[in-house]
Amino acid sequence: MNWQPSLLRNLMVWALGSLLLVWATFIAVGYRTGLHEADELTDGHLASVAALLLAQRGGQFSERGDPARLAAPGELRNHDYQQSLSVVVWDAERRVLTRTGQAPMPAYPASEGFMDLRLGDPPTGWRAFARADAGAAPRLVMVLLSEHERDALAGDIAGQVMEPGMWLLPVVALALALAIRRGLRPLHDLTRDVAALDVNQPQPRLQGHRQQEFAAVVDAIDLLVGRYRSAMARERDLASELAHEMRTPLAALTLHARTLRDLPEGSAREAAIRRVEAEALRAGQVLSDLLAMARASRAELDEATQELDLHELAREVVAGHGVMAAQSGHELSLAAPGPMPIRGHPMLLEMALRNLVENALAHTPRGTLVEVQLDPLACWLQVCDNAAAAASPTEPPAQAGAGSLGLGLGHRVVQKIAAVHGGQFGRVPAPEGFTSCYRLSLRRK
Amino acid sequence: MRVLVVEDDEGIAAGLKAHLERQGWAVDLAGAVPAAWAALSAEVFNLVLLDLGLPGQDGAELLHRLRRQAKGGLPDPATPVLIMTARDQVASRIAGLDMGADDYVTKPFDPDELVARMRALRRRSAGRAQSLLRCGELEIDPAARTVRRAGQLVELSAREFGVLLALMEARPRVLSRAQIEAQLYSWGQALESNAIEVHVHHLRRKLGEGVVRTMRGVGYFVPEEPA
Repeated sequence: MNWQPSLLRNLMVWALGSLLLVWATFIAVGYRTGLHEADELTDGHLASVAALLLAQRGGQFSERGDPARLAAPGELRNHDYQQSLSVVVWDAERRVLTRTGQAPMPAYPASEGFMDLRLGDPPTGWRAFARADAGAAPRLVMVLLSEHERDALAGDIAGQVMEPGMWLLPVVALALALAIRRGLRPLHDLTRDVAALDVNQPQPRLQGHRQQEFAAVVDAIDLLVGRYRSAMARERDLASELAHEMRTPLAALTLHARTLRDLPEGSAREAAIRRVEAEALRAGQVLSDLLAMARASRAELDEATQELDLHELAREVVAGHGVMAAQSGHELSLAAPGPMPIRGHPMLLEMALRNLVENALAHTPRGTLVEVQLDPLACWLQVCDNAAAAASPTEPPAQAGAGSLGLGLGHRVVQKIAAVHGGQFGRVPAPEGFTSCYRLSLRRK
Repeated sequence: MRVLVVEDDEGIAAGLKAHLERQGWAVDLAGAVPAAWAALSAEVFNLVLLDLGLPGQDGAELLHRLRRQAKGGLPDPATPVLIMTARDQVASRIAGLDMGADDYVTKPFDPDELVARMRALRRRSAGRAQSLLRCGELEIDPAARTVRRAGQLVELSAREFGVLLALMEARPRVLSRAQIEAQLYSWGQALESNAIEVHVHHLRRKLGEGVVRTMRGVGYFVPEEPA
């Protein structure tokens, strides 16, 4: 059986355990009080009988033994608490004047008052009270009660005191258990709602839990669900974007392949072949970009960062794209005040910068100035261009060729690399002389 | 059939234009929503092939605006729209169809399947269930682009077939010369002033005088049951 900790069970054990302890204490005290009160009662009874007999003048007890065993007349019945008292009366010369009851004959007491005696053979315990009367006919009266009978009485009284407690304990325990169960219902409701929480629902919020104890938990769960949904939405957007980037060249490939099949030899067929090649290259480039993005995640875990000069890295990237810029009719330059030592992944940063430069060259018209700018103090790198078309979001970017990447996917790659370096990437207001600017901010060394 | 392809990717647009023109259709290209809207406002198109991921404005915006247009003018809100997109999620398809698209294909698609879907859309918009068009002893198969007269195959050029198909689909309405031209030629295609008359002349020679009639000063029509 799978024993799982349960808050309800825990609360029940503690509450009922505490109740049992209190109840046991109460019963113990009740029992002790019962015994004590029974002792007091019997002692008072002994003293009362002694006083009564001292006040009586003359008279002998009959020889019929225990007076408590006399048959009760009529509707009178022997009472439960009717006790078998024994009485011995001595005169001034210590002669027994009369006696009654079943107590063995005690010795003349040395003093008056209450005493515990051991009488008979075998000896049994007796509680006794002796009192003398020094009047005209001096006498000493001793009243005795068997300790066994007294203890039975005490036990009876204590039992009567305990009995309601014994009956009440299970009732109170049951009521307490029901109350705890009912009191925990909001917690059960919350647990049920959390278990039934479906993050794919439009509004998966925990509602109706207004208890202040739950506020922090409910807020935290709502916050986590919100973050999860945002992350899922980002993943969906990314997947959608990747699908678009991959499917577009494949769709073009399919169409041009069909053109190749349908057309006879000629210039149109040659054009279709060139198209197929270009689209295949584009699909390959998209695939490379996807792999780069996957590596950006893996590199964070696998590779240690290292010291590098971003200025030197940018210089190499810009120099490497000089021919491409010249072919596409762009002016490419680097603006940096000096060395920019940082700690990072050179391969990833080169990939990011290359992506930004290639995007700028691919999506701006001929004659555009593309400049890579570095700021070692603020620790950022940005790629700006002065293309009028690129500055307007409503205008389509100029297509520099079939090998160019989609802006969205390229920027996702750079975003990922920025995140790996604890930085940020995004579009920023272009500096004077430029119309568009994308900045990669890195964490300071 | 006159088709407007709204696609920003140059490779796909060029491939589609070449493929659809080989079907004998007139194809115009638009790379963004404003250009597509301008084209729809200026000309009657039998079908719109719409990409959703357009620069600036989403293609869904064009569809939404088109379907909200008042009837009887241009753009024509009843124009069939076939969405072609890289968004392959079911939710995207449902959203596209609920917006008013008539069909949906996911990139990359089979060119023949696309053409078949376009023909089906054209058929539905013309209120026909059968794929073959029959008129008297004439039988026209738009998919195979063949014409049979009394069971005998008749050789027609692509333009002649286009003129005949346009008139058959409009039957018994009269189509003006400009209306026929609009269905056969895209913008930028060179067109002789008497091109339609020449095609009609050839059709009459091959199919008989009673198939295509002239309504003087108005245009051409195919009667319900040719003589």
